[in-house]
Amino acid sequence: MGEVIVVTSGKGGVGKTTTTSNIGIGLAMLGKSVVIVDADIGLRNLDVVMGLENRIVYDIVDVVEDNCRIKQALIKDKKFDHLFLLPAAQTKDKDAIAPEQMKNLSDELKGMFDYVIIDCPAGIEQGFKNAIVGADRALVVTTPEISAVRDADRIIGLLEANGLNSPKLIINRIKQDMVNRGDMMNIDDIIDILAIDLIGVVPDDEAIVISTNRGEPVIIEGKSMAGQAYLNISKRIMGEDVPLLNLDIEEGLISKLRKLFFGK
Amino acid sequence: MSQNLIRFKGKREGISIYIKQGSFQDIKDELEAKIKKSKRFFKGAKVTEIAGIDGKDLTEEEKKEIEILVTKKYSMIIDESEAMNTENKENITQATKIKEVAPVTKSEEVEEDLEMELGHYEGLEEGNTKFIYTTIRSGQLIESDGNVVVIGDVNPGGEISAKGNIVVLGSVRGSTYAGNDGNKDAVVAAFRLSPTKLRIANLITIRPDNDDDVHTPREPEVARIYDDAIIIEPYLTKK
Repeated sequence: MGEVIVVTSGKGGVGKTTTTSNIGIGLAMLGKSVVIVDADIGLRNLDVVMGLENRIVYDIVDVVEDNCRIKQALIKDKKFDHLFLLPAAQTKDKDAIAPEQMKNLSDELKGMFDYVIIDCPAGIEQGFKNAIVGADRALVVTTPEISAVRDADRIIGLLEANGLNSPKLIINRIKQDMVNRGDMMNIDDIIDILAIDLIGVVPDDEAIVISTNRGEPVIIEGKSMAGQAYLNISKRIMGEDVPLLNLDIEEGLISKLRKLFFGK
Repeated sequence: MSQNLIRFKGKREGISIYIKQGSFQDIKDELEAKIKKSKRFFKGAKVTEIAGIDGKDLTEEEKKEIEILVTKKYSMIIDESEAMNTENKENITQATKIKEVAPVTKSEEVEEDLEMELGHYEGLEEGNTKFIYTTIRSGQLIESDGNVVVIGDVNPGGEISAKGNIVVLGSVRGSTYAGNDGNKDAVVAAFRLSPTKLRIANLITIRPDNDDDVHTPREPEVARIYDDAIIIEPYLTKK
């Protein structure tokens, strides 16, 4: 029996879809069977980020409406044999699925895979309610901006009200140099407000933009800081105790090397 | 010295002192002895009624003397207006007469006999208290007809609105509204009081727009109304 994990944030554009795809691949790289589910009906992205857009025949609405079998709608990843995508419908809206249907679907997928990762839409309406109804665990993504933290706080409250206690926090797109200058909220500030456990910090990284546009999540290459951070998060999801990346030292090392070679 | 000349009755409005037949010196002695036994309980307590029972006819002078004794020596407060207002809807001019009769009907009321439970802080107007054992997050509203105690934080976007006092065993960053039906004595207390908006009764304060103007509290503080303005001050004495 697998586990259903919902990735949510409240605010849009903080990196839910990027996080979902990378964690999905990360868990697959670690040898688990994984399905990632796009619950953002009407605004589907996950297929694009994964580079699987052209393979979609059936989608999640077809599955719950019994137009196809669940296996027909699952799209196998290009690189990993035990990683699948269940795409959202693009021509419907969030009301096309009822919470009970989503619950049944989650339960069914849970029986087939080790991990079911659900990409939750932004907002707190029907789409959000659908996405969390079958979840066992929740990951809350935020960026070091006051608006994103505020929405994350709201989401945590709603998750707790729906019985998803102690969600884990991912702080995305942190810029260590800005934090050092005191221009950006630091990790402690955010945790102080949200008061939940941190499961990972992902630095702001140009590699994300490049990889997203190419349809190859950043974790695959594995060299970038963001890729490493996602791999660490995947390990922590599996219960491994991995220390946080020290973004500061990394930054210091590069500048030290630069100083050594270029004398800057 | 004969005992049991004095009876205390606790009610919602305050304490009633009933006096039985006996020499006035004995009455005073017993009253003092009883109050002394629970000094802390009686200090600052509101006395709504002093009257004779079981045929005792308390004269004005005797009553005055008792009033002076309890107010001066034990800093109790005499306030008979409330008792009269709530206890009889009849003509005010009859009040003195009714007071003499009143003790007989009193026993039928649901009330605590303080003689049984002296030392307990019950029976006075404390109101209900709602305990919240979690952090109040953005979008959550806690309302109460009494006091609210939060074991956790109140985050930005979270709200507490209470008719009574608000006590937060954590940080307040959201908005709080104490005494929302006009109680100017209501207070808001927190380990770190840094609200976006704070209201007490008819007054309201907001956080300064400029973050530099915001004083970061380092110690527990309480907000209350003083001179028609909301003031925030530490409530622990400085060492």
